[in-house]
Amino acid sequence: MEQLKAILFEPVGCLAEFPPKPFHQIAVNLYGRKGKASRSGSRSYWHLLNLMEASGGSGLEALEVQAVDEASIYEDVTAALSELKAMGVRCFLVSSLSSAAIERFLEKCPHEFDAVWTRNNSGGIKAAPLAHAIEAASVAPENAMFLTDTVEGLNVAKSLGINSVLMMNDPDEARRLAMHNPAGGIVSLHELPDFIRLVAAKNARRAIR
Amino acid sequence: MKNISIYRPTTIDQAIQILTQHGTEAGVYAGGTDLLIRLKNRLQQAPTYLVDIKKIDNLRYIKEDAQGGVQIGAATKIAEVADSDLLKKKYPMLVEAVNMISSPELRNASTIAGDLLQEVWCQYLRGGYSCWRNGGYICYGAIGDNSYYHSAMGGRLCYAVYPGDAATALIPFDARVKLATPSGTKELTVEQLVPGDMLVDGRIQSHVVRYNEILTEVVLPPPKPNVRASFEKLRPRGVWDFAMASLAMSVQLRDNTIEDARVVFGGIAGKPLRETAVENFLKGKTLSPDLSGQSVSLALANAAPLKYNATKIDMAKGLLASGIAKLNGTA
Repeated sequence: MEQLKAILFEPVGCLAEFPPKPFHQIAVNLYGRKGKASRSGSRSYWHLLNLMEASGGSGLEALEVQAVDEASIYEDVTAALSELKAMGVRCFLVSSLSSAAIERFLEKCPHEFDAVWTRNNSGGIKAAPLAHAIEAASVAPENAMFLTDTVEGLNVAKSLGINSVLMMNDPDEARRLAMHNPAGGIVSLHELPDFIRLVAAKNARRAIR
Repeated sequence: MKNISIYRPTTIDQAIQILTQHGTEAGVYAGGTDLLIRLKNRLQQAPTYLVDIKKIDNLRYIKEDAQGGVQIGAATKIAEVADSDLLKKKYPMLVEAVNMISSPELRNASTIAGDLLQEVWCQYLRGGYSCWRNGGYICYGAIGDNSYYHSAMGGRLCYAVYPGDAATALIPFDARVKLATPSGTKELTVEQLVPGDMLVDGRIQSHVVRYNEILTEVVLPPPKPNVRASFEKLRPRGVWDFAMASLAMSVQLRDNTIEDARVVFGGIAGKPLRETAVENFLKGKTLSPDLSGQSVSLALANAAPLKYNATKIDMAKGLLASGIAKLNGTA
């Protein structure tokens, strides 16, 4: 892994626990999705993105904002982001949510991200916010990490050449996702600074050899 | 097994020179009961250059110092520690603990320093998975089977437990170690030696010994008067195995009042875990079986078990109850 200079955070499932219901409701209302909602907010969210990608159209912002309102920010977010900032690692918030939903999210999680990319200002979903984030910041994909807890997230990062790092919230799910060869995995956000340091140290050792 | 080169220095200075020359590609080789298995298992992290210190004089001894403490040379076999009459007389709890390390065959080969500095025994690392300690960037123990050899007290990238019993048993005696370094001798407490996972020379390890440093001696201070100590260990297999939970405990008494206490858990965290909340609670109390209930309820308040190892916390608390009973003479 190359030296990591930037981290792309998808708020859903990586910075906060989101409820599945609002995303499922959008899928039902807009795309006629049938069946029960997934138990995971992240999976419901990415299922919705798959539907949006296939059918076009935009989501219902009100329900997205409701999802944000019901989300619980993980307790280690603030400390981890502050430490990363102090280390000089650039942190970007990248999401397929609408700008309105992300604005509400930032009210709940007031961190000064280096940039915020949504489906509105990036003009697309899934890969689009990530691609815009690294391009606008002139960060090479191999120097960036995308934190995600779904297989779709891993694939999106891989399609752009960005290091896909698994947020291992649920051990059983994470074990399944580990089969998709993520570049790495963490149990808690407080491990991110050490992750960056370890990659830097390994690269320094490699350079000496 | 990968191709390796073996050096056989005859002095510590030579050994340090060789270690310095090869950097983190080199490793100290003494008993080999950990190192050779890592090599046989083709672990990426295993060293390529082995610095065999068995030819170095004066690393294998157990002797009493002028103050009544005991010095143990780094290359002293675990079996020699277990059989030492001097240690049986002065620190019986330590002898009890080292007798529970592994099997008689392995105790004949492994050294006291090797036990202190051994690599974790996570089945994923040892199985060659590309984890944090083996060239990768993920902990499989955190998401896989973590029933036995993983931390129930949180982690820092790697969630394997520190596996050594000797360190757990040495901490209650305030034991220290000496390290030979390129700039002279360095002395640390055992607690400082194994503080839990650290980034040292670009590697994750449980101890603070750098690539060109060698642990040369364990120093036990003179035994304190009126000390009672106990060591207990629960393991998946009764005959020999690593601890699922262990407890080394000591109390220093005046009459029947506890003046000082040490409570150290092994096998449940990335380091031998001193439980200072229980130590502080015990100080000033009269030693009695009644202390057990409150000690157990105070212990391990920061437990953070993984999916399959919450039982380790129950085991550790059970050991605390039985340890107190043992010190009371009621077990």
